[in-house]
Amino acid sequence: MVKLEPCDPKRAKELILNGKARAPFPVDGSLDLSNQPTLRKLPAGLSCFELNLTGSSIEELPDDIRVESSLILRNCENLKKLPDGLTVTTLDLQGCNSLDRLPEGLDVWFLNLRGCVALSHFPKSAAIRHGSLALGGCSMVANLPAYLKKLSTLDISECRNICELPADLEVGLWIDVGGSGISELAPPNHEVGIRWRSVAIDHRIAFKPETITAKEVLSQKNTELRRVLIERMGNERFVSQANAKVIDRDQDAGGKRELLRLPLENDEDFVCLSCNCPSTSRHYLLRVPPAMETCRQAAAWMAGFDDPSKYKPILET
Amino acid sequence: MSRREFHFISGASSKFWAIEMKGDSFDVTYGKIGTSGTAQTKSFGDAVAAQKAGDKLVLEKTSKGYVEIGNARNTTVSVASDPSTGTSGASAGLNELYFSTTQNVADIGNLKTFIGLKLADYKSPKSIKKGNYAYKVSVSYEDEDEEDGDGGDFIKRLTSFLDSAAATDAQGFVVGNWSVEGPETAQPIVDLFVSKKDRLPNLAALFFGEIAQEECEISWIENCNMTPILDAFPKLELLRVRGATNLEFLKAGHKSLRALGVESGGLAREVVAQICKADFPNLEYLELWLGTNEYGGTTQVNDLTPIMKGTAFPKLKYLGLRNSEITDEIAGVIINSPIVRQIETLDLSLGTLTDEGAKALMKLPQDAKLKRLDLHRHFVSTAMMKQLKTLPFSLNVSDQEEADEDEGGRFVAVSE
Repeated sequence: MVKLEPCDPKRAKELILNGKARAPFPVDGSLDLSNQPTLRKLPAGLSCFELNLTGSSIEELPDDIRVESSLILRNCENLKKLPDGLTVTTLDLQGCNSLDRLPEGLDVWFLNLRGCVALSHFPKSAAIRHGSLALGGCSMVANLPAYLKKLSTLDISECRNICELPADLEVGLWIDVGGSGISELAPPNHEVGIRWRSVAIDHRIAFKPETITAKEVLSQKNTELRRVLIERMGNERFVSQANAKVIDRDQDAGGKRELLRLPLENDEDFVCLSCNCPSTSRHYLLRVPPAMETCRQAAAWMAGFDDPSKYKPILET
Repeated sequence: MSRREFHFISGASSKFWAIEMKGDSFDVTYGKIGTSGTAQTKSFGDAVAAQKAGDKLVLEKTSKGYVEIGNARNTTVSVASDPSTGTSGASAGLNELYFSTTQNVADIGNLKTFIGLKLADYKSPKSIKKGNYAYKVSVSYEDEDEEDGDGGDFIKRLTSFLDSAAATDAQGFVVGNWSVEGPETAQPIVDLFVSKKDRLPNLAALFFGEIAQEECEISWIENCNMTPILDAFPKLELLRVRGATNLEFLKAGHKSLRALGVESGGLAREVVAQICKADFPNLEYLELWLGTNEYGGTTQVNDLTPIMKGTAFPKLKYLGLRNSEITDEIAGVIINSPIVRQIETLDLSLGTLTDEGAKALMKLPQDAKLKRLDLHRHFVSTAMMKQLKTLPFSLNVSDQEEADEDEGGRFVAVSE
């Protein structure tokens, strides 16, 4: 067999974009085919060190593709299928919103699936190990596979259907549980670092939010962390405990309304409208921009009107 | 019990410390390597108390970076003989204690010894001393004013050294500062080494860029492709480079290289990829300073996967991923990686290790070959340091730093 001299990456790019690449097609190094919206197909027999296809119109990859290190397919919105047995060190599929499954036999250390909103199932068998698994916003995923054993980091933020981790999964550094269905972590993960949508927090804030006090929130100097504390505590509890100042009062179809304000150090004021639903009588506390001065103005803003005089509801239900 | 001897070798010093247990007393000897040192005897009420005190001292020394010889003594490396170059496999090889040349930040630009030899500045043939020295060539502002000198011309000075008798014997050589009027590329130096490679027939260790911060900031040092150096010196066992701007290891390979160190304020991921792809079948020691993104350090933890897999360098015993702002991330991945079952020393010093990374390190395998963990210059809390000390490794957790919350948190030790 004749050993083919690997092609220079720049030349390889030209050949591929002009549809002139022929198998086998070894490329010497990193092939950057990012931001090529017209690119739909790759030649068979392609092998390279790294391949970046970010923003291309690729629908599937050739079965015999070989990428040694990173395969980047960010925002490939047409991507439907990856070859079975795909083995790479890093696979970045962030924003591949048409992808509904991963290939059988996938072998990877670092897997980014953020924003893969159509993805619902993991392959029956695969090796996803040692590195990081990011599933942020994969709201269709309900179960993580049992073959997940050891990871460095796990991001399941906004995965509201994931309510527990596989029994054998041990995460070394941190788990991002912000907005997921996880409400506690058992050993071996009971001491792992916790993130709430990227903000480092401790286990108590994540899993025992009832212990957070308004005093604790107001004395927290870190703005990011304070915002998470308020979210975990819930607006209702926070505002009632913190003695927010009433800056306006009136009546609507639901009854009494109040606009409340609470200043926060190094952050915009916490301003919210307290009101009741006219049909269910349920109480709501809704955060509004800090410049709001009246209940009416706040309600108009929520309905999409910057000018409250234009907000004239015919019927409030 | 027999005598145990420990060595500490850094850029600025080479010391030994030895202990011999004698029932209810012990003898301690210490001093500079090569001298007989100072001896002391300490007596205790009973053998148990003596042993306990002795063990405590040993722990103190090893946590300061002393390495027990006997553990570290040269296992003669079987560097395969290469008929094409005529090198024989019989050479004993460098003592691996010398591989870690820049242990602390204070060593930078302060090198007093190299591969166990005293370092002497070479300015002209008159600089050559009797005895076994390693030489360093560097230039500075003052050289320009010296009469009948070379006017501070680095190339002229290096040429003069290479033409001297000292070159023929040199086992180790140090390239110091080469640019006086702003950054200059190292390319002509590499070219000169290559064209005069026959003048350095015994070169086993090269430090390329032993440059102090006052001479040139680490990120300003203009390097170039080092592959021609590797090709030119088949007996090279140790290569250390400071400065990663324009540094390359294009299609590098070397059969005898045992130690590679790259010190930088920011190491590009492309350079890491080149090193990972290099053919270094006998590499035992790999030290990479990853630095910060602000100075070109684009390497992310996933770029280190070929090293972590343990396939790139099958003989690796020491792995240093130092001066890094992703130390925690590295810790999180390395604890599960095959490489950590293969190496004896893991060095994550000079970086931004926090409690999160330290907690991960508590999960390092204890049934493998790992013996030493160097974490010095870190951001780990005192409570967490205490936990780390329960690990059955010789541990260095000195130089605790505190995050500066106003200035944006945690920084690597060496950046600009």
